[in-house]
Amino acid sequence: MVQTVTGPLGAEGRYWQALAEGHLELPQCTGCGRWHWPAVWRCGACGSWEHRWREVALSGAIFTWTHTWHPFGGTEGIDKPFVTLLVSLAEVPIRLLGILEGPEDGVKIGAAVIGRIDRTPFGDHFVPAIRWRLSQ
Amino acid sequence: MMKSICGTTAVAGIGYRQYKRGTAPLPERGVLVRTIIDACEDAGFDPADIDGFVSYGDDRNEPVRLMPDLGTKEITWSGQVWGGGGGGTAGAFGLAAAAIATGQAKAVMVFRALVEGNSGRLSAAVMAHHLNDHLVAGGVVAPAQVCAMRAQRLFEYHGVPQSVCEELVRASYYHGARNSDALAYGKELDLSEFRTARWIATPFRLFDCSRENDGAGALLLVSTERARDLRKPPVRLLGVANGTEKGWGDLLENDDAELYATAGFRPTARRLWEQTGLTPADIDVVQLYENFSAQGVASLIDHGFCTYENVAEVIRFENLIAPSGGLPVNTAGGNFAQGFVHGIGLCIEAIRQLRGESVNPVLGAETCLVAGGPGAPTVSSAVFGKDV
Repeated sequence: MVQTVTGPLGAEGRYWQALAEGHLELPQCTGCGRWHWPAVWRCGACGSWEHRWREVALSGAIFTWTHTWHPFGGTEGIDKPFVTLLVSLAEVPIRLLGILEGPEDGVKIGAAVIGRIDRTPFGDHFVPAIRWRLSQ
Repeated sequence: MMKSICGTTAVAGIGYRQYKRGTAPLPERGVLVRTIIDACEDAGFDPADIDGFVSYGDDRNEPVRLMPDLGTKEITWSGQVWGGGGGGTAGAFGLAAAAIATGQAKAVMVFRALVEGNSGRLSAAVMAHHLNDHLVAGGVVAPAQVCAMRAQRLFEYHGVPQSVCEELVRASYYHGARNSDALAYGKELDLSEFRTARWIATPFRLFDCSRENDGAGALLLVSTERARDLRKPPVRLLGVANGTEKGWGDLLENDDAELYATAGFRPTARRLWEQTGLTPADIDVVQLYENFSAQGVASLIDHGFCTYENVAEVIRFENLIAPSGGLPVNTAGGNFAQGFVHGIGLCIEAIRQLRGESVNPVLGAETCLVAGGPGAPTVSSAVFGKDV
């Protein structure tokens, strides 16, 4: 049974399970083919209750980003400053957040990135997470 | 067709008490009771006759607990606008007006109280409402970071010059420096300090972020007819809209690409203008919720005061200050310079302007827009007008 550290668990339990297994899976409606993120139980477009979780590659382009400097409560376990990227995935129309690792030069909207799965500390817990890295 | 509530209700009394964080003389509910009584004294209204209460932003003061202090005879309406941020600031007046227009209440107190010793830090409370493991995994734990990502997109992708943020913050400080009740009284924005202040989350430095203060605000809403018999000149609620549209909301940063860098006001602003028959050109003064500088800018764009293309022509310091500017904004200092009790102070200043009681008066002002918390999953705005 998947449990979250913060906030309620929605329909995205399989997402967390897949990350724990070492890959990214995202839900596609079997009725109309739409990708839904956040995950849904029911497709609001076609009414289908069936979604297939498909493996998706951790690659994409930066949609936006921020460099966090302030020691916000909850970020104690993350070295500061750090860069958060919001990445538009290459294969599906979904954006995912993750912390940047590696060189920061070249961070800009549109820059290509690839990702790997890691975990982010939060209080006494660790949350499965994506780390992004600039492609070039 | 919905029966119009435009102008049928009016604010008859206001109360506002604000303190530096951690210095409120009473616990939260005590400050709120004091403020509600202030509003009643302002209106010349018996507090025991308040029969409705409305708040927003996860306020913790359940109205029933106010009854013994206020002498309340009967509560016939109470409600709160959903949402943890300030998105419901203006929408609270819509809830109150709906109750009065349908006869479900006669005198509704719209309030927000926040004493951080009781309710904790506001930013933490707002984030607790929205926090989830997807955000945490990306190191995102504060509203500043979410708004920073949207601001970055506004500047880098949509081409809005970041310099307009400085113009907006400077205007708030200009007004706050002239308001003896403001935390920035006597202190205009030092531009070199603004430009070199410590980074919070790029592109925001310290002074791009609102304050957090202790205090409470309360506004008594009654029918316009009834307000005319009370002590102060009525200020009518000309229109109010609250909500969101498909493609915007609590979507793990998956809002529609074209909406992502907005403040979320496109649908509410459209309904507000349709409802009132007004346009941005008809607005004499604006009280603009600025949690962060860029979201204030985006809010003005969403409401139609300017576009991505001409934003720098409109959001200019000289244009934003009273009494000489064409679009005076945050005439008491706003969340940046007056102080921040989750935006309720903006509503108070709207009423003061239209009564002619503002310390930075806009001469002849007949209409005032209040734009609630920008960037929230649901947002709201309202237009208040002088009784004519």
